[in-house]
Amino acid sequence: MTLQQRIGKWVLSWPPLVYMVLFFLVPTLIMVVAAFRYPGDYGGLAPMYSVEDGKVVWDLTLENFQRLTEDALYFDLFIKSAGYALATTLACILMAYPLAWLIARSPKRYRDLMLLLVILPFWSNFLIRIYAWMIILGPQSAFTRAVNWLVTGLGFEPIQLLFTPFAVIVGMVYVHLPFMVLPLYANLEKHDMALLDAAQDLGANAWQRFWRVTWPLSLPGVFAGSALVFIPALGMFAIPDILGGTDSIMIGNLIKQQILDTRDWPFGSVLSIMLTGGVLLIAALGAAVARGGRKRG
Amino acid sequence: MKKVLLSLALVASAQAFAADELHLYNWNNYLSDATAKRFEAYCKCKLVQDYYGDNEEMLAKLAAGAKGYDIVVPTGFAVEALVKQGKAQPLDKKQLTALGNIDPGYMNGFFDKGNVYSVPYSFTTTLLGYNETQLKKAGVLDKANSWALIFDPAVLGKIKGKVTVLDSQRELMSAALMYLGKPANTTNPADWNAARDVILKAKPYWAAFNNQSYIKELTVGNIYVAFGYSNDMFQAQQDAKKAKRPFTLNFSLQKEGNTLSLDNFVVLKDAPRKDLAYKFINFMLDGKNAADLTNEMGSGNPNKAAKPFVKPEIAKVAAIFPGASDVGRLQQLRDLTAKDRRELNKVWSQVKLK
Amino acid sequence: MAKKNAWWLWAAAILTYLFLYLPLVIVVVFSFNDSRLNAEWVGFTLDWYRKLFHNEKMLTAAGNSLMIGVVSSLASTVLGTLAGIALHKYKLRFLPFLVLTPIAIPELLMGVSLVIFFVIVNQLLGILELGLITIILSHIAFCVGFVAIVVRARMQGMDESLVEAARDLGATPFQAFRLVTLPVIMPGIIAGALMAFTLSIDDFVITFFTAGVGAATLPLEIYSMIKIAVTPEVNAVSSLLMLLTLVLIVIASRVSPSALRANG
Repeated sequence: MTLQQRIGKWVLSWPPLVYMVLFFLVPTLIMVVAAFRYPGDYGGLAPMYSVEDGKVVWDLTLENFQRLTEDALYFDLFIKSAGYALATTLACILMAYPLAWLIARSPKRYRDLMLLLVILPFWSNFLIRIYAWMIILGPQSAFTRAVNWLVTGLGFEPIQLLFTPFAVIVGMVYVHLPFMVLPLYANLEKHDMALLDAAQDLGANAWQRFWRVTWPLSLPGVFAGSALVFIPALGMFAIPDILGGTDSIMIGNLIKQQILDTRDWPFGSVLSIMLTGGVLLIAALGAAVARGGRKRG
Repeated sequence: MKKVLLSLALVASAQAFAADELHLYNWNNYLSDATAKRFEAYCKCKLVQDYYGDNEEMLAKLAAGAKGYDIVVPTGFAVEALVKQGKAQPLDKKQLTALGNIDPGYMNGFFDKGNVYSVPYSFTTTLLGYNETQLKKAGVLDKANSWALIFDPAVLGKIKGKVTVLDSQRELMSAALMYLGKPANTTNPADWNAARDVILKAKPYWAAFNNQSYIKELTVGNIYVAFGYSNDMFQAQQDAKKAKRPFTLNFSLQKEGNTLSLDNFVVLKDAPRKDLAYKFINFMLDGKNAADLTNEMGSGNPNKAAKPFVKPEIAKVAAIFPGASDVGRLQQLRDLTAKDRRELNKVWSQVKLK
Repeated sequence: MAKKNAWWLWAAAILTYLFLYLPLVIVVVFSFNDSRLNAEWVGFTLDWYRKLFHNEKMLTAAGNSLMIGVVSSLASTVLGTLAGIALHKYKLRFLPFLVLTPIAIPELLMGVSLVIFFVIVNQLLGILELGLITIILSHIAFCVGFVAIVVRARMQGMDESLVEAARDLGATPFQAFRLVTLPVIMPGIIAGALMAFTLSIDDFVITFFTAGVGAATLPLEIYSMIKIAVTPEVNAVSSLLMLLTLVLIVIASRVSPSALRANG
């Protein structure tokens, strides 16, 4: 490498590197250390060490981690949160796929507008959009009444929509849908239509054409979108807080509670580490599956 | 559009450079606009408020190094936390000319003996607000004066899915403890477990844990019973009246006892403008100014001098002005040690997650 | 190519658009409703907009949000562009991890770790108290990765021989970058900047943790209002915010028509 190239590499990579070490890596490491400390009596953290007779005594503990094993509740909560995130991801795939396909197959001059229409809701406020869902799902809204008219017409008890797991999933799908549409569109747009024509010529019906040709080719887009939906959905707390009922608590709510309500930062930190670990594990699995998928495709 | 941006920039910079500013870190909706305006005119300074939703949030923010506030308005136990953290400034009583206006019954609290650091401002009780019309229809209106309304499955069966409770481990556990006849400040694990069991039996009948929107849900008529703060219930009642909703909202204390949250002015040690802080506290000790909050927001008032200025229809509400017979049943929550907080949170996690 | 799309595809797509727009319609409609309760239609009014323009606190918050959005998207665009180019050109060990993990980590964790970090820095060094600065620093940290991804994607589609040709013609590396590389990757940079701006202006979680005195942003203001029954003023301010962003985007797409496409 010439000197010039080396300087170029430094100029390009050092500013972002230094920034991210300062404002991402260091905070993350501090959080990891916090998981081994005791909570302070009035919030924050207890001193990490004390000096007795000139000797430094470290006040570190594994107690925070042990709490996880004391009660199966926490494990169940992780599973439940993953369930919510998975349901959200699947619903997003189901809703985004036809839309992304349609956009990708539309005349070029309309595509930008159609994509813009998908992103536009994001420039209003996140909370206000969720709040609007509170109104739509509330028991007195036209929507809920229409649903209940149907439900009672079929001979069932009227149902409640707001403050249910259903409401939480609706809210989460709503907030994450564009993150599924965009990568799917980017993938589907590149597909070669000649392949589908060839399949048709060989006698494949519409379903076979989709399942044998389009779907396998679109898997990278599906995986990218799923990651962008699943990961943020897993750590969500505002939506279960606002739309959820008594049984719609997610891991994010528990973490928020430790930090802000119980003032137990160490346990909040332990839960966060577990969540991050879970995310990385799932990401690694996803990447492995994606690699396998690509080989097959 | 340029004009809008320009005016935004002007607003922002005007705030940043105004010389005489008092920074108040306050509960949301806890100072009437009229009072604030009058104070600004009186002291010829600007009153800037930031809001918090609960004490823990305020403590966390201050612990995290939030600086620049002159006065905070913590509840009793949080005063204690601020004092122990060395964040509170001892008050110069000579400068507080009207301290005698405060009812002695609210002075000398467990959290600050001798009121070295704090001046009582206002209080709320934690209680049940309800839709009178709907409860009458369900035939459970006579239960509204008891915690049974949110804890007894036999009663709840008639209003299933129409109840919300505060998402607060201290408040909800305290209510369940009082329902069982136990002290709200107990740290006995057996009591906590008993309270947990009461809550778990009642939980299937509740719609949600809700701190965010019960005022609105009550006012619109989506829920019939909410466990929350007295001034919120007052606001819901007023809103429903104003919007001419086809039902009446009401709220009342429970016979088993309620928690009382006494909120106090505390001057911070690193307050940039202590002079304005004293000016503000003295201003708020004045009977007429102190009465504003009660008249507009229905919060309880520890200021004797304010009584003559409080609207008579509010003064007679026991939940806002507890009579001598009610006061004995009101309990103030104390702060727990880190260890007890964690133990309580383990029980609470079972409440929330099961 | 011009195959006719099946009717059910259209139906599904229209339903999805309906799903996306139903809440927005409600937000906008209720901003003109003559009732404090967002419950039922009473009558048309412009009062909420009038009130909004006299609500100094809300305007300050909106101003803060815009300011934070602009500053942090600019800064993260610079850093993200450098990172994106570096990721494409060199095999680096730490940078990809540092730049891309924040995207994969739930916001809540970043908010928590940043607030702990700021507290410690504040206690040890007495600098960086919570406020506008800490919000901006945090927003930059989570936006850099998004910009880097878009820029790298754009670099991958670029013809390297152009740069070589410029160098052969005697351009310095900096000249080659400014005159050849930069114009080519500009749509990617603009798309990244838009994304960063969108993320910053709508962020609630990280801002909630890292905000301090006098640093309320619009999402924080709205969150504190949800408690005391949101008035239609909030609907008015979010309708306006949406309009303002739309105008910004339209201007941006006029400047660089391919910006949005790169976003996809």
